[in-house]
Amino acid sequence: MKSRAMSFLCAALLGSTVALAAAPFRADKLKVVATLPELADIVEEIGDGRVEVVTITRGRENLHAVMARPSHLVALNRADMFVQVGLSLEMSFVPGLLEGARNRSIVPGAPGFVSVSERWEPIEVPASLSRQGGDVHPHGNPHMNLDPRAGEFMANAIRDGLVRLDPGSAELYGQRHQAYLQKLAQAKQRWEKLATNFRGKQIVVYHLEYNYLARYYDMEIAGAIEYRPGIPPTPNHLARVIADMKERGVKVIVVAPWSHNNDVERVADATGARIVELPNQAGGMPGADTWIGMMTVIHEKLAAAFG
Amino acid sequence: MRCLHLAVLAAAASLVPSARAQGPGFQTPGMPTFGYAGIESSQATRFSSEFNPAFSFVVDALGDYVRYSGRSDDGFDADVRGFELGAMAWVDPKAWAYFIGAMEDEQLAIEEAALHYVGFEENSTLRAGRFFIDFGKQMQVHVHELRTVERPLVLRAYLGEEVKGDGIQWDDWRPVGDKTAVRWSIGAFSSILPEEDEFLPDPAKSVDERKDIQDFSFTARVTGFTDLSDNAILQLGASARVVPDYAVEFEATGDTEEGLDNTVWGLDATYGWIDDTGQRRWTLGAECLVNTGDTGADNPAPGTVDVLDDTVCGYYAFVDYAWSRYGSAGLQFSAVELPDLNASDLSETELYYTHAFSEFQRLRLGLSAIDREDEDAFRVALQYTAVLGAHGHGVNW
Repeated sequence: MKSRAMSFLCAALLGSTVALAAAPFRADKLKVVATLPELADIVEEIGDGRVEVVTITRGRENLHAVMARPSHLVALNRADMFVQVGLSLEMSFVPGLLEGARNRSIVPGAPGFVSVSERWEPIEVPASLSRQGGDVHPHGNPHMNLDPRAGEFMANAIRDGLVRLDPGSAELYGQRHQAYLQKLAQAKQRWEKLATNFRGKQIVVYHLEYNYLARYYDMEIAGAIEYRPGIPPTPNHLARVIADMKERGVKVIVVAPWSHNNDVERVADATGARIVELPNQAGGMPGADTWIGMMTVIHEKLAAAFG
Repeated sequence: MRCLHLAVLAAAASLVPSARAQGPGFQTPGMPTFGYAGIESSQATRFSSEFNPAFSFVVDALGDYVRYSGRSDDGFDADVRGFELGAMAWVDPKAWAYFIGAMEDEQLAIEEAALHYVGFEENSTLRAGRFFIDFGKQMQVHVHELRTVERPLVLRAYLGEEVKGDGIQWDDWRPVGDKTAVRWSIGAFSSILPEEDEFLPDPAKSVDERKDIQDFSFTARVTGFTDLSDNAILQLGASARVVPDYAVEFEATGDTEEGLDNTVWGLDATYGWIDDTGQRRWTLGAECLVNTGDTGADNPAPGTVDVLDDTVCGYYAFVDYAWSRYGSAGLQFSAVELPDLNASDLSETELYYTHAFSEFQRLRLGLSAIDREDEDAFRVALQYTAVLGAHGHGVNW
């Protein structure tokens, strides 16, 4: 009796699945999946109503440990274009999703695949690869989306991708791209003013994700609370970080929403340093819904911390 | 003159860039062409490693203490429970393959060796070779990849500790709406009987090597998972494993019984929640199994075989909480009606804590209690697992 009931349930589930799965899908807009909210923001800026964008992350995650959801698989299966940062930043979820989505038009090498870090000159490219260095990224530090120069770079790559897939709208995309660059130029003027407060200062970070930003403003990353990238701190390592911060007089600890944890609080308590929580992607904080907004929040918070 | 000959030979050898280990230095008529250098160049020489597979190693070590009620063989033990060597690579643009060798009885045995053909236009995959069966959420993976020290009791009792088979499997998935994906699979295998039956070791079960197609063993699974919200996922599934013809043999008497059949049905549900930062996670899951048909046999006297034709049920349920990428703990309970003449019940409770030093090595403390009518057992286990290299299987969701 039990086995009959089970047979019925299985058959019903299989039948309903086959019936529901046959639904067709087509729309005039380009269907785009972007890994990060800032990429989605730039796609929407340049796409100007010609695109329909789904974003995988939401703004507060550790980008090296994102859990993919069924809706992501479905969106990628139907997408015309996929946009990622690259440099293995999204390694924890993109390869598996792309393999599972089975959409040949968005796999690496296809016209619909856009990696905005292509031709970017990465920093901290490891001379040799070993797990002794922790979660080492073979192509260098992948957090290029936090470099003040990255907006234009990402916008160029996205414009090129849109034109490649929809050449009939190339003129529109070109105009929108130019308009975006103008917005960027205005924002950069403001950032430069804010940066006078923190240019050349010392910070300690939890994870090495603000290195491009620090390098751009000649800031010194005096230490990392993580033992190695992706490896949590040991008590000995925390003691060393605390001693170093005291010796060097570092007064600011920069963390992302995902890394504002007890270890950071412990170091801050021991050193009297101020914890500054910065977005590591758009969408994670009020005012940081766009890439320009996110970078403005970063500059404002750093300026306030050192002001 | 001799030196000149040697020099000419050496120069000729240096002009053969694509020679193969088993092939000739260059191709002559009648020699193999496929996969060798020559007419069909494979863009590498026999000394190149550019296209070699990705390799991985897994070490799973376990130290434990077990105390039984009413028995004297309590005590400590420690051993390397598993050592696994894996290799994985794309064969060509439409297929990838992998190999998993595992240490069994001090020998390296082929645990999995399968090819995945993904060249279909739709979302289908044809899998062929030796691989773990697609049943529920936990049977596709090796024991050392589970959340717990051991596979849930009911799976061990009805299906086996690790169940692999030589055969083929058709897999396909479809979107349903914007937030749901549904996958189904059907597999046919020469045999998917467990190598060892932990609960009914005697008699030994077997299937004929050569048989009609309807006497192959089959698996089927349909599963759907959906976004409940931005933070929560629900997955439901139904599975079946059918062994339509198998035989038992009692070692002590040599008695056998043929023409037995057994089917296991399963229903599973898994709920996952993750916080906005991706650090804290709750996972709750349950699976119930129905084991029906010829579930076993007894040999009360030489020449007499009593076949157990019965339907028995069991289930497991768990709750798991991860407070960071590196720390998690959980509780799992499993209860099962054993397929023996006494139809005795058995339950297992496992409490575990896992600390990951990094993404690639972890330490787990497991406390488990087995409750049986005539005997109880308590176990403390410390499990260390390390993964080196590009570890992966053909695991589906």
